[in-house]
Amino acid sequence: MSAAKFPPHGSAPGVEHEAQARAEACRNLEALAGAFLTPGRAAARLAMLGAAVVAAGAVGCVFGGVHISLLRALTDPAGTDHAILFDARLPRVLMAMAVGAILASVGAALQALVRNPLAEGGILGISGGGALGAIVAMIGLSQTRFADEAVPLVAFAMALGSTLAVYRLALVEGQLEPFTLLLVGVIFNAFWGAAIMIVNSVVNFYYAHSILFWLMGSLEAPGYREVATVSALGLAGFAVLMTRARDMNLLSLGDESAAELGVEVHAARRTIFLATSVMIGAAVSVSGIISFVGLIVPHVLRLAFGADHRLLLPASLLGGASFMVIADLVARAAIAPAELPVGAITALCGGPFFIYMLRREGQRRLV
Amino acid sequence: MAALGGAAISPVAGAHGTGNATSSHARIVSLAPSVTETLFAVGAGRDVVGVSEFDNYPPAVRKLPRVGTFLTPNVEAIAALRPTLIIGLANSANQREIHALVEMGYPTLMVKEDSIAEIERSITIIGNRTGHPRQANKVVAGIQNRISKVRKLMSCVIDRRVLMLVGHDPLVAVGRGTFLDQLLALAHGANIADGLPGSWPRISMEYIIAKKPQVILDGQMGTGSSTPGDFWSRFPIIPAVREHRVHGYPTDPTLTPGPRIGETLMMLVRLIHPEAFGSGVVTAEETGPEPARIATASDLAR
Repeated sequence: MSAAKFPPHGSAPGVEHEAQARAEACRNLEALAGAFLTPGRAAARLAMLGAAVVAAGAVGCVFGGVHISLLRALTDPAGTDHAILFDARLPRVLMAMAVGAILASVGAALQALVRNPLAEGGILGISGGGALGAIVAMIGLSQTRFADEAVPLVAFAMALGSTLAVYRLALVEGQLEPFTLLLVGVIFNAFWGAAIMIVNSVVNFYYAHSILFWLMGSLEAPGYREVATVSALGLAGFAVLMTRARDMNLLSLGDESAAELGVEVHAARRTIFLATSVMIGAAVSVSGIISFVGLIVPHVLRLAFGADHRLLLPASLLGGASFMVIADLVARAAIAPAELPVGAITALCGGPFFIYMLRREGQRRLV
Repeated sequence: MAALGGAAISPVAGAHGTGNATSSHARIVSLAPSVTETLFAVGAGRDVVGVSEFDNYPPAVRKLPRVGTFLTPNVEAIAALRPTLIIGLANSANQREIHALVEMGYPTLMVKEDSIAEIERSITIIGNRTGHPRQANKVVAGIQNRISKVRKLMSCVIDRRVLMLVGHDPLVAVGRGTFLDQLLALAHGANIADGLPGSWPRISMEYIIAKKPQVILDGQMGTGSSTPGDFWSRFPIIPAVREHRVHGYPTDPTLTPGPRIGETLMMLVRLIHPEAFGSGVVTAEETGPEPARIATASDLAR
């Protein structure tokens, strides 16, 4: 890995202390590099994850809430099976991929941004703002014809607005301070949650289902146009994140070290934060709050592949996509033909698996 | 838990016409929209001194004091009204408040309104308890009249497969065992959500497509639109979409169990089997809020 040129550490007072600091930094870098990361290995791992996405997608299309014949679905374009596969199941599988990819890669980026293993879109108040926007729009517009179109737009706007507010409030002397950011985010998250609960208590109970929907997350009944919009926003944000992957590696060494190594710390943080908020806003606007994906997927991949963000970001993108497709398949099929909220499935399946990985690998390489 | 039920709450059957609530001194608090409607329908409207948050029918209730929502009645607001009778719907969310009111010594009547039979029974019980048994019987007879007229009128009509949606995010349908499910059956609609667990099941798009509903009643579309919205136009394979049988309906009062379920039945018949009525027999006002204005199947039956 390229960051092996460690600069002279002039400020250390004693030689012994300096040696110790160097040794520690080297250990960190080694952990970052995931021991033996080479371009070939990285490509092999990504190819493997890509194949997993394709496999998960295929499984997600074959199985579901109702039984269909794949042969009939593919050969009879006027048949019911065809419509189920292409009008209901495929857009949903694609939406699961888009949302999962966004949540996981954003989680990986935010964990580097605030140097905290608990960071994800939910904890920074972004998805809470989006969910509140969706709920208010849904109730306010419920008897109009714009409901279907307007709700995602308002959710997206609220997610971005929430992000900007958190960003402004987390600036300390013009710098984005990670701990302040985390705390402001946590407080915003609680604030939005409280606002949603207040809305829940003052509106007619008919809306209870819908409010729960936005709180628990669901991917039901998306159209191809929504899938395309969310994917485009997600990929654009992801491209920006990739340009900052090296900065994320160096940021995890600490702000000073990162600055010494040539990272414009504040600019890097601002770019990463704004890119992630566009991505999360897009995901929340269609799926509500889906928790745990942004936490589990990057951590598991970090345990497996190491913490180099040039690999971790695309790996999270692909891993998140396949994880979400499978979680949504469980949501669709577990008590078919009724449905479960996918957010509950991600937490239910993800939690124990994550703890298993954590116990097996130990905590050394977690951050 | 069982202590709450028991003797403290007036048992549904034995509570007939206790004299104290019949006079104009009665002060009745209603804890649910359907109970309020029932009180006014049986002629006890004058005695109602407090209603729940979202009660809006009949218009006279708009200026009455509010005592909290259906799920969270406000014990202090209720006590401040010095009620001589509190009537509500038993549900899991308001147990604690009801218990408190019973403990405070207020006469309390809890009714159930999940099915048509329960709705009719609760109208009778509320009428008896408030001293208006004859008017209550009339209201019940009105509902039964509509039901039997629809039965007669529709005897040779073939069922249509129906999906009745309550909301879109998530897709929640009217399910098995609800009064709306029963009304759909009376209107010769075969509810495609009958096979799903629960009274208000979440339903998937896949399931909807597979069950090929011939009529879709979509609460989210309100009353404005009778053509499939953008959402439904994505699924031309569904017979209801292809044949332009996707209709909006007003969630209020359609989802409210109460004295107006007869009107709701007429609306369902009109939406599911419009051709069953000759043109002009059923007027547009048929689904309107005032029972008096409704030109019903009685025109045909006479």
